[in-house]
Amino acid sequence: MDRPEQRLALIECFERDGRAGRTIDVTAWPVALGRALHNHVVLDDAYVAPSHARIEPDAQGRLVLTVLDTGNGVSVDGQHHAAGASCKLPDAGATLQLGQTRLRLRLPGEPLAPEKPLPPAAAASLLLALPLYALVAAEHALALDPGADATAWLPALVGLPVAVAGWCALWALMSKVFQHRFDFGGHLRITLPWLLAIEACDALLPQLAAALAWPGLWQLIAPLQVVLGALWLRAHLAHVLPLHRRTITVAVAAVTLAGSAISLSFIQRSTDSWSRAPYMSTLPLPATHLAGTVAPGVLVEAMSALVEPLARRVQKAREEEEEDAASSDE
Amino acid sequence: MHQTGVADPPRPPRRPPGPGARRWLQAGLALLLSVAGAVTPAATPERPAPSSGPAVEAEAPSLPAGTVGAAPAEAEPALSGAGQRIYERTRARLLQVRTLLKTQDSQSSVGSGFLVDEAGLLVTNYHVISQFALQPGRHRLVYATVDGVQGALELLAFDVVHDLALLRTADPASLAGRGAVVLRPANEPLPRGARIFALGNPLDVGFAVAEGSYNGPVERSFLETLFFGGSLSAGMSGGPALDEQGRLIGVNVAARRDGEQVSFLVPAAPVRTLLERGRHAAPITAPSWPEVTRQLLAHEAELSERFIALPWRSAGHPRYAIPVPQEQFMRCWGRGSPQAVRGLQFERSDCAMDSRIFVGGSLLTGFLTVRHEAYDGSKLGTLRFAERYSSSFRNESMGIDDRHRTAARCVERSIDRDGLPLKAVVCLRAYKKLEGLHDLSVLVATLDGTQAGVQGRFDARGVSFASAQRLTAHYLDGFAWIAPNNVSR
Repeated sequence: MDRPEQRLALIECFERDGRAGRTIDVTAWPVALGRALHNHVVLDDAYVAPSHARIEPDAQGRLVLTVLDTGNGVSVDGQHHAAGASCKLPDAGATLQLGQTRLRLRLPGEPLAPEKPLPPAAAASLLLALPLYALVAAEHALALDPGADATAWLPALVGLPVAVAGWCALWALMSKVFQHRFDFGGHLRITLPWLLAIEACDALLPQLAAALAWPGLWQLIAPLQVVLGALWLRAHLAHVLPLHRRTITVAVAAVTLAGSAISLSFIQRSTDSWSRAPYMSTLPLPATHLAGTVAPGVLVEAMSALVEPLARRVQKAREEEEEDAASSDE
Repeated sequence: MHQTGVADPPRPPRRPPGPGARRWLQAGLALLLSVAGAVTPAATPERPAPSSGPAVEAEAPSLPAGTVGAAPAEAEPALSGAGQRIYERTRARLLQVRTLLKTQDSQSSVGSGFLVDEAGLLVTNYHVISQFALQPGRHRLVYATVDGVQGALELLAFDVVHDLALLRTADPASLAGRGAVVLRPANEPLPRGARIFALGNPLDVGFAVAEGSYNGPVERSFLETLFFGGSLSAGMSGGPALDEQGRLIGVNVAARRDGEQVSFLVPAAPVRTLLERGRHAAPITAPSWPEVTRQLLAHEAELSERFIALPWRSAGHPRYAIPVPQEQFMRCWGRGSPQAVRGLQFERSDCAMDSRIFVGGSLLTGFLTVRHEAYDGSKLGTLRFAERYSSSFRNESMGIDDRHRTAARCVERSIDRDGLPLKAVVCLRAYKKLEGLHDLSVLVATLDGTQAGVQGRFDARGVSFASAQRLTAHYLDGFAWIAPNNVSR
């Protein structure tokens, strides 16, 4: 617009992917919205009435939205108003939903959020790749025998970058579909810290649990990694669909919980406990063996704690068998 | 435990069974074969035909030269004179014992048996009639003689430990006048190499005599078992093995499939005991789990007692005393990694008992195994050694919930054996139907070495909780220092 001082308001029409598409300058009130051509803002939406709504100032000069002859009504900042209703619009502007069209009414009173800093340059975010790379290479080195062939290093040295790049490229394709940009860097910035966290958890926590002789902590590592994995996935999805963060959180949480429940029920069935590993199998290094030792007799005494749960399980098996026998007799 | 580092790939390979393990796996299979083979369906149960089923045909060519099928109606086959005489004398007392489903005539297991008195008492293996003993409501027992007489049987008593059962014909008149197989007196030991004859109905093909030699008791066996140098096939289980006078030396029970003509007999002594105990017993009509449990508990008490009384042997390790059992009733096999390997070096010892007790289905119990692996990571460095040492400790199965036993439950502690720090895990599984019996597993790893260590595992199948505690304490006591604390390798 050549003369911004004439602009009373701005109406932005959002595309389905959440980006603002068409913008309409408002230089005079009232503004009529609807599908018919006599409206100031003509909406190409089958769910919008020919004359759907009107915005105009009231006697006090405050903007009021009047819902006209529409069956679907209007939502103002999430609040639904049926035909014939009118509502005062906030000075800061509002988000309006007419049919399937989402509009934002921007007013001069709108407080503007401060400028967002640009994401760090790719080089800076790649700094995180260094500890990740070091961690994976170190784990691989430990697994190789000394003097291993150079090709034995390829899985870690080449495999990790290729896998990370492939992963980020897939997510970037998702961004391309939903946001029209191939945001490889954005997904790389998400992947690196989460992957580093999961790897660090895998490398350090078992040793910590073994050093402190805390089997409970050791058993928690696997569920913790599942949670980290779910959060990682959520971060990618939220980056692809920023307007649906809440839905994504709920969906990821639901999938994680359902998956965990199914997996736990299988584990419970075969091991009668919540963990597949019956004991803490990580052994502490002699230097990090911080927990004290007990006399062998203490362990032998501790076996008594096994008797009751085993007896309970035997009892349960017997009851199940009796039920089976009873049902087969019927 | 496993051996890592024997090959370049970093992931720990699954441990192949050692020679000992493999042999005993096969030995166990041999016993099961004597049941499973017997399950082979025959086209006409009354008149077993050689072409009755594919499994029978597959087995038939492997029958040794000494075993000759002798169906009653057939022409006289070529037998040694003694074999012919034995068969003629015993054929009236020889029976086939079949377990049938109560509701139909299909046989679910067949074995052999023999009359031990004029009143219609007969002896067979426990494993031939185990399905009836454990589920009498679903099965029934019948016999068939060489001359085609058939009738119902009652189970009077059994000895699950020695794998024997005492039965009686429901109608004593049906087998009257057939005489009985007499037991060779205990004070007349048979010389090694003497000719003996095993009789039975192999694979339901027809009654047969298998000639072989008597080779004395099996060495290093907890339960006295006789070594029969002849062939036993499935279906002959429970048949008599007789001396040249036709007196009972033992009862056919099992064979090894990894050797030639290595078969086993239950000696006459437990037959005599069972006969005395069960002669006047009332027939068994309820599931015998409580009685099986009682016998297994008595067995495990004696086994634990004798095992704990034996001192541990030295493993010859320069740094640690490692518990290795005496070989009175266990057999140990050793193995080491090849010297040229760059990775983790190890030496391993696997000790296991010969005697295993068949209870039913796939359940074998009542035995001990002791195993250790001594690791040397001096070619690896501290961190690489720690990685492999931990992986090795992880690679152990403690057992999941199955038909017979619960899943394992474990307790773990870092313990101190006179200054030697050890990580020890004790796991127990309870038997669902053998109340009071458990499988014990004790896993131990030394924690002091930066580039060397020992991991051991002790297993006791079918022991009471009290025995499990005593055996655990005994096993842990076997670990100690040999070299003083400050000596490092």
